[in-house]
Amino acid sequence: MSRRTRLAVVPARRIMIGRALALCAVAVVLAIVLVLLGLPLGMVCGLVLKSTFGTVFGLENLALYMTPLLMTGAAVWLALRAGLWNIGAEGQFLAGATAAAAVGLFAPLPAPVALPVAMLASLVAGGAWSAVPAAGRAWLGVSEIITTLLLNFIATYLVYYLVTGPWADHVTDAQVSSQRMMLALPSVYSVVHWGGPVALALVVALGALLKRSRFGYELSLCGSNPDSARYAGIRVAPRLFTALVASGALAGLGGMMEVLGTVHRLQGGLAHGYGYLGIVVALLARQSAYALIPAAFLMAVILNTGIVLQTLQVSASSVLAITGLLVFAVAVSDELAAYVRLETKS
Amino acid sequence: MSLSFSKGLTRRRLLAAAGCAGLPLRAGAATRFAPIAEEDLLVGFGHTSPVNDGGWTQMHDKAIRALKDHFPRMRSLYVESIPYSADATRIFRQFVAEGAQMVISTSDYGDFIKDVANQAPDVGFLECDGNNVTGNLGWYYITHWYASYVIGIAAARLSRNGRLGYIASFPTTSVIASANATLLGARSVNPEATMRVISINSWFDPQAAASAGAALIDSGCDFLCGIMDDPGYLRVAQERGVWAAMWNTDMRQFGPDAYVSSVMLDFVAYYRQTIEARIAGRWRPAGTFLTLGHGVDRDAWGARVPLAIQREADAARDRMLAGWSPFTGPIKDSKGQVRVPAGQTMTDMEIFHWNWQVEGVSGLV
Repeated sequence: MSRRTRLAVVPARRIMIGRALALCAVAVVLAIVLVLLGLPLGMVCGLVLKSTFGTVFGLENLALYMTPLLMTGAAVWLALRAGLWNIGAEGQFLAGATAAAAVGLFAPLPAPVALPVAMLASLVAGGAWSAVPAAGRAWLGVSEIITTLLLNFIATYLVYYLVTGPWADHVTDAQVSSQRMMLALPSVYSVVHWGGPVALALVVALGALLKRSRFGYELSLCGSNPDSARYAGIRVAPRLFTALVASGALAGLGGMMEVLGTVHRLQGGLAHGYGYLGIVVALLARQSAYALIPAAFLMAVILNTGIVLQTLQVSASSVLAITGLLVFAVAVSDELAAYVRLETKS
Repeated sequence: MSLSFSKGLTRRRLLAAAGCAGLPLRAGAATRFAPIAEEDLLVGFGHTSPVNDGGWTQMHDKAIRALKDHFPRMRSLYVESIPYSADATRIFRQFVAEGAQMVISTSDYGDFIKDVANQAPDVGFLECDGNNVTGNLGWYYITHWYASYVIGIAAARLSRNGRLGYIASFPTTSVIASANATLLGARSVNPEATMRVISINSWFDPQAAASAGAALIDSGCDFLCGIMDDPGYLRVAQERGVWAAMWNTDMRQFGPDAYVSSVMLDFVAYYRQTIEARIAGRWRPAGTFLTLGHGVDRDAWGARVPLAIQREADAARDRMLAGWSPFTGPIKDSKGQVRVPAGQTMTDMEIFHWNWQVEGVSGLV
């Protein structure tokens, strides 16, 4: 006879096996859809693999996709540690990008000074963009899910206002964008800029900080059980506030990297959904900050696959569908991995 | 001043990056775009809207399909609905990665295409509505302002109150040129005519275009025009019983009573010549205007446009075809300041880079 029971703590190995199966399931569904669309499967796979991993352009694309995903992923992940859902990384990303662009466009500073200033400005702007929802959540109990989400729209339209109004480029007629900034993050290789290595280092540092510091411990205690945190004498509200503001600052820094590293103009489509994809990255990473790296990598591969698929006339929306399917499959597999069979002797 | 200086700097740096400097670039271009067999040619086309948008992109797609008749062995790729974001760069790079020798974007992607062109000096790039000519990047555009001027004359005659409504995408120079030209045409027969503009932040958003059209009618406009890829606001004009002039193609089926005319596009000949030149090794990056009667024109007039009005507007068109330009001073901006002095005529390049709204236009810049 056998019974099933749900484990409170699931071993990482079970999660990994479950997720591998989930990825396979997504691949199979994708293959079926491609065949139904009449595309030769071998050719498509070959082209995706070659374009993503077999060319310099592909590898550069992966690096450029990973950078903002790491930052927004880390932002959402940090808030999740404190039990908070930061749905507003998109808006904080834009706020940070706007602040960095303001420095890039208007501050007459040499690059070695301007870059740290832009970095600081983006951290402050991203943090400020999440400060009101953070305060509302910490001291008034207002759901941060709603407030952070709604601020995304305000940030988006603020950027549209700036780039079609006061900051619009009337010189080269570039659409919905500011002038190109001369201030740029230095390049590592070709179009790949230093934002990537910095993002990687930040993620590693974040992991170490939360694992080893007292702040990290208190934060996860606030997140997992606020009542016992209070009982232990931790002042919960300031911890929650700090976590959400720091989360916004990380997303804001991501915006600075994108605008000064990749795009070079403040423009309407800048955030590109990275704030929302950061939620996916954070969910995939679960408790581990280090796992943000493979999660962001996977997401970057999916996004780059979307570019390749578009040249085969598969709609750009297919990327969203693949992402949704992946999150769904992973959620199911994570849940199933928690169930074990109890062998009982009859 | 400082801006042009910094621009020069970039260009120099880019030339250095491409491994050539100044003069050798031209010599390089000759070998770079050497003749190529038709079956070896791969051309990538990047569109801003879906190929079945019923307007701008559809007209490009139609011309691209017509290429198949002339060059049956040429291969082509296309991607539709490319966003104005770093993803545009990725898509153009992907064309290059898949082996395209020619990449043509049917809308203005600015830096997003220029950056890719600079990294792929052996690939020829063309950008519709573009601004840059480099060693391997050129642009092409239609001088749509002449057709818009002709339609503007009809607009002023058809409108009862002289209030025109314009549905714009973004306040970019080609949109400003379109709106200005239409109102200048209108003012040539009704100096009291005015134009109110709403920008909807998209080239293809039929829902937003329809809402903007309805809002303009509510504010008193009885003639709608604009620069949309789709016939969205024509349907509104039909329902509300006002006139509408469109862009891109014949859209009368979506509002037969409201339809006045359209800025009609035809890229068939230009694309054919471009591909011919690339195959023969004659293609060189340049800026090209497709002129009135050669790629752009007004559409056949709508069924309800009175014959006298058609004749009056067409008389201006005939004069333009004979070389006359209506874009002659004095032309004032919306603040009342004379920007083009009396007797001076704007060149097509000046009109293409028009960045101020003329007197009577409001809400655009």
